[in-house]
Amino acid sequence: MKRAVLAFLLTCTAIGAAFEAMAPPAAAQTPAQNLAQPAARATQHTAGSGAAAGAPQLSLDVAPAATPTAPLPGESVPQDALPEPSSGAQDLYESARGDLLQIRMLLKNGRTQSTVGSGFLVGTSNLALTNYHVVSQMALDPGIYTAEYIDTDGNTGPVELMAVDVLHDLAVVRINRNGSGFFKVPEQPVKLRQGQRLYSLGNPLDLGFAISEGAYNGVLTRSFYDRLIFSGPINSGMSGGPSVTASGTVAGINVARRTDGESVSFLVPVKHAQELLRMVAGQPAPPADFNPQIGKQLLAHQAGMVDKLLEEPLTLKGMGQYLVPVRESGEVRCWGRSNARGAAYSVDSMSCVMQSALFVSDTQQTGNVAMTHQYIRSGTMEPLRFATLASDSFQVDNLGSTGDARLTKPFCTERFVHTRSLPMRAVTCVRAYRKFEGLYNFTLLTASTDASQSSLQSRLDVSGVSYENGMRVTRAYLGAFGRSGRR
Amino acid sequence: MNGRMSGLAQGPWTIETLARNGEVLHRHRVAALPIRFGRAYDNDFIIDDDYAAPHHACVDLGPDGRLLLRDLDTRNGIVHKGKCVKELALDGDTVVRMGHTSLRIRGANHPIGPELRDRTMHGWEGVLPGGAGLVLSLLVALLVAWLTDTSNDLERYAQYPAAAAGIGLVWSGLWAFGNRLFGRRARLGRHLFIFGCALTALVALRLLASVLAYAWSLEWVSGYASHAAVATVAVAIYFHLATVTPQLRRRLRAICGALAVLSSILILAGNMQRHGRTADELYMPVLLPPELRASPDMPVADYINEVGAMKQEIDAERRGGN
Repeated sequence: MKRAVLAFLLTCTAIGAAFEAMAPPAAAQTPAQNLAQPAARATQHTAGSGAAAGAPQLSLDVAPAATPTAPLPGESVPQDALPEPSSGAQDLYESARGDLLQIRMLLKNGRTQSTVGSGFLVGTSNLALTNYHVVSQMALDPGIYTAEYIDTDGNTGPVELMAVDVLHDLAVVRINRNGSGFFKVPEQPVKLRQGQRLYSLGNPLDLGFAISEGAYNGVLTRSFYDRLIFSGPINSGMSGGPSVTASGTVAGINVARRTDGESVSFLVPVKHAQELLRMVAGQPAPPADFNPQIGKQLLAHQAGMVDKLLEEPLTLKGMGQYLVPVRESGEVRCWGRSNARGAAYSVDSMSCVMQSALFVSDTQQTGNVAMTHQYIRSGTMEPLRFATLASDSFQVDNLGSTGDARLTKPFCTERFVHTRSLPMRAVTCVRAYRKFEGLYNFTLLTASTDASQSSLQSRLDVSGVSYENGMRVTRAYLGAFGRSGRR
Repeated sequence: MNGRMSGLAQGPWTIETLARNGEVLHRHRVAALPIRFGRAYDNDFIIDDDYAAPHHACVDLGPDGRLLLRDLDTRNGIVHKGKCVKELALDGDTVVRMGHTSLRIRGANHPIGPELRDRTMHGWEGVLPGGAGLVLSLLVALLVAWLTDTSNDLERYAQYPAAAAGIGLVWSGLWAFGNRLFGRRARLGRHLFIFGCALTALVALRLLASVLAYAWSLEWVSGYASHAAVATVAVAIYFHLATVTPQLRRRLRAICGALAVLSSILILAGNMQRHGRTADELYMPVLLPPELRASPDMPVADYINEVGAMKQEIDAERRGGN
């Protein structure tokens, strides 16, 4: 009996100690997640909530935002006596309001709105321009979503989707009335000067139609496709609205803004709208299924992207005794950081992202390249202990599973390989897009296997590429790893 | 059944009251026939049961020389194999129920099984195996604490052993409780020893799988290592059960084997449903020191060819998944 009591007491003490032991590891894991946080974040979609799932960890995407700003009147004319800015905006809004639209995506069941954006009638036609991301739900799931427009007088009517341009984030829709001819989409590209006033129109945050003014500030060079920088306030819901000069000539279409800046917004240059309108002119009826069209555009995008990525050999940079491939050019941005964790080991990491991500849907971005290198080393940890740490770090869980409607489950090839001078472990996982034939996501994970107290672990994500291009990038990247001989 | 009755049964007679599981609750010896059963004090065997009649039944020799049980016109009667009977010929294995009481009657010459060989190590009980099991668990916990230590934090070297000891004592304590309940003795020391060995085997197998997989590029060894863990746990449970009831070893082996197979199937099916593959992991994340690599590496070009060969499979999945 005494022994049983003793055993019981001992058990209770031990359980108490065990529970205490559980708690600290959980708390210790939180800082590790910070490592994966993006170095910079800057995207907001104008149409609804644009949380981009599946985007690589270190993205600095400029996602389409909804609200462009409006330029001041009199910007296109030589700088003479300008009218009072506010009254200029007043006059402009007065003349433009008849052709300004709000475009709403509705669930077919119940006709409740899911996203809202803006649009405008082109000239005197019944065609209106907006952003692809405003109408993406209708393009991808015509069985679930439909759309309607509301003009400034409160009239509503149905919207037919005629054409989309995923690369430049544009779409042409047809409605049941004609424009007054205020918004002129010129045949020739519009010449703008830095500082020129532009007026941006739209329906910010679904609060009502608005006009805002700002200045044209050149072309964004870091983006994969041309974007005009517009310094003016932009808000969600203005996506697809026009940005015009004082005379009503459309300079661009509101598309995005930086959420980490003040009034830094982006416009799609009007020349891309001209191309799309020309295409619609030769097409009598709206296509029934946009997936082939979108798939073709994504294929064209990835071809250009991969060619640009591999147009010259990847740059090699030193990380400890290793040489790692990176790409540094206008479109690829890299960040580095170092985390000395306690005294036992340290981690240096480097991440590069090509600014070429395309918006396909709220939950899917594609067409981008991201590479990450992580150099872990320790002078004090025994090889087996270091091996546990390295294995832990090499485990990536977010490569996808079954039950994803957009992508197949991942298929992986894992091998021990050797490059010119470095033995490595390489894991390539590939997933196919279900809706777009011939497009795949490639993920390559590598880890060096040459040393017992240092580990170079790298990850390459290439999304939305053809199989051949995915293999091309994988080959170029994997083959470039090496050892510099320097310790 | 009658074959066992070599010759006719002989007195004196032993009446055995049985529990539902067949265990003998009580034995009573009667020298001569007839034997009268009932609640009244003038019976040869008093049935302490409110559902039995004062004079419930009577056993005497039948015309064929066998025992014959007769019902004395009672309300609840005599039940044999679920049926109410008036009269029943008995042999040593016939179990009858009167009211809520089950019993059988055996003669003095009823055959019994041979003496079992005693394989129990009676010296390996109590503190000795208990201490060994606890020490094993503590050592394994220290090893795991050391392997996963990335911060030179000394606290974990107290926490991990404490956790292992706590879990071990609870686990073994529950088994000891069961042992006391069904086997009359707790045998906590033995259960602790089994726990210590199982924990050691679990960790050793995990490490062995990692080393095998890494050294000879046998990725599947790491991917299906959970089944080795299932087998280890099944073996441990078998030893726990065999400690509780040593008589049923063969049946316990079959039960534990079946449970292990079922668990493995559930793991495979769960992986298939969640991840679309039967392995536990998408790829082998194990990285070990370079000295442990034994098989040759592959050139990058060959690797890329293998990646290319995956395309067909993926495209088939894409078409099939639509």
